[in-house]
Order: sequence, then C-alpha cells, then structure tokens
Amino acid sequence: MSDWRIWLLVLACGAGTYLWRALGVALSGRLRPDSEVFAWITCVAYAMLAGLVARIVILPVGTLAASALGDRLVACGLALAVFYLSRRNLFMGVGAGFLVFVALTYRQATFS
Amino acid sequence: MATPLSAAAFRAGAREAFGVPSAVLGAGYIGFGALALESGFSIWLALLSTATIWALPGQLVLVELHTIGAAVLAIVPAVMLTSARFLPMTMALMPVIRDRHHTRYQLYPAVHLVAMTGWAAAMRRCPELPLPQRLPYFVGFALVNWLACLACTIFGYWVSGSLPPLIKLGLVFLNPVYFILILSGDVRHRLMILALAGGALAGPLIHLWTPSWSVLLGGFVGGTMAYLAHRLIRRHV
Repeated sequence: MSDWRIWLLVLACGAGTYLWRALGVALSGRLRPDSEVFAWITCVAYAMLAGLVARIVILPVGTLAASALGDRLVACGLALAVFYLSRRNLFMGVGAGFLVFVALTYRQATFS
Repeated sequence: MATPLSAAAFRAGAREAFGVPSAVLGAGYIGFGALALESGFSIWLALLSTATIWALPGQLVLVELHTIGAAVLAIVPAVMLTSARFLPMTMALMPVIRDRHHTRYQLYPAVHLVAMTGWAAAMRRCPELPLPQRLPYFVGFALVNWLACLACTIFGYWVSGSLPPLIKLGLVFLNPVYFILILSGDVRHRLMILALAGGALAGPLIHLWTPSWSVLLGGFVGGTMAYLAHRLIRRHV
C-alpha cells in the first residue's frame, strides 16, 4: 500500500469513528433522559462494553491469545478482590492484575 | 463564555483525569505504540490514529487488518463496527452534560473526546455537578486523557524495542482489567448489573458465531435481554 493511501485509510477510520459520536449528538435531542428508550440504550451501551471486555479475556485475538485462559481469569478475579479490599483503589486493583498475570504467565514459561 | 465556575470545573475534570485514569489508559497506548512499530507504521501514522480514532479497539483492528493486508473497504467498516458503541454512549451522555445554552459549535467538537474512561467519569460525576459545569468537567477530563495517550503512543513506540515480550503482554492485559474494574465500580442498581451480565454472556457467545459483529450484536442482545428482565422483575415485585 503506497504512502498516501495508508494516511487516507487512517483518516477514514478516524472520520468513521467520529461519525458515531456526532450522530449521538444529533439523535440525542429526541430522547428524554428518564424515558424507557433511554434506559434501553444505556443498557445496550453497557452490555456492548461488558461483552467486548469479556470477549478479550475469554477469547482474545492477537498477542493475548498466547496466554492461558486460567491465568487471565485468576488475574482478573484477584484484581477485582484487591480493588474492593482497597476501597475501590483503581491503581491497586490494576497493579495487582498486572503483577499476577505477569507472574502466572512467566511460570508457564511460554515467555521466559 | 468561560465563566470562573466553568473554568474551575474544567480544571477539576483535568485534575481528576491526571494520575491513575490517564496512566492506566496510557499503558494500553504504550502497548499500541509498540504494536504500531512492529507493524511498520510510522510514528506520525500511529499518532494520527490515536488523535482521530481515539478508541483502542478500533486502532488495534486497523493495525492488525492492515498487517494481514486486508482491503481498505474491509478495514474501515470493521473499525467503525468496533466503535459503534459511541453512538449509544454519546446519546446517553448528552442529556447528562447538555445545557440549553450550549451551541452545536461546542458540543460537536467536544464529543470527539468521547471514549470509555472519560465517558464513565462524566456519567458518574456530572449528575452531582450544576448543569453549566458538566460539559467543562467532561472536556477537562477527556482532554487530559487524550493528550496523555498521545504522549504514551510516542513513548510505547520509542521504548518497545527494549521491552521484554512478557511485560508487553502484561501491558496489553491492563486494558480488560481496567475496564472490568471501572465497570464494576459503576454498578449501582439492578438494571446496570443485568446489562453487564447480559453483555458479558452474549458478547463472547456471539463472537463464536460472527466475530466482526459480536460487539454490536452482543450489546444489542445482552442489553435488550437485561432491559426486558428488569421490566419483568419490576412488574412482579
């Protein structure tokens, strides 16, 4: 792919992504925040994110696919536990998840 | 237009975004910078994708599909599909931050900054703020996230040559962990718990059937089932 085409490709992806955000503004005036349709849309938004994150943990594509499912689940579980034990300290929770995952994956010796 | 109060709200948002939210989000972008280098992207292309797409899943799809040589007509829709969540997210955010004094010249540039972290922060904090301070709070928060991630894209591109693969993998893993903690921290009522559970169940199942549509369809199916279950429970209790 020649040089200018990949620049156009990135810009097209950026424009396509922005389109959703702009449409969100354009369409939002037609909804009341306490309406049932609005409650449903919020549900769909949360479910999309939960689905994406669950998919990344359970069925990763790319580099994460080289790690073990059990390791990813244990690391997520311990991250959640530390997060709540530290009174919802995000840094503690995320740090615990990172350390546990790296330690477990190192033990598997795939990456040593 | 910039009253002292809205300037203070902008600074409050910026201050809250500094530190953990930007650092953890930035860690994902360090991983992205590393991936961009390995995939033969120039630093300027990597920065352009962070600045314009501003959604890590979409950027990963772009780099991976480009690496395997997919056609432009296959890449752009795939990136857009992974970012389709911004439509309901922005629609959900608008009634929370919109003041009737806001013009389209303020709202349309501001929503370019809509992404998971800033959105979740605004949804959580803005209802506690007076209406005129909500948009400045969101812009302050999200702008710091955006600038930090541009810096982290450069940093990741630059250091990736010297990072061991295991640490790089750990950095990639930060993203789902971060999202799980943020989302679980948001759980306040039954509808949200049902929506998260429905999505977490439907997303991976639908991925087995149709990967490129799994985010959209999973959210639609899981969210709708959660909404219907919530209505059913409400009627019977």
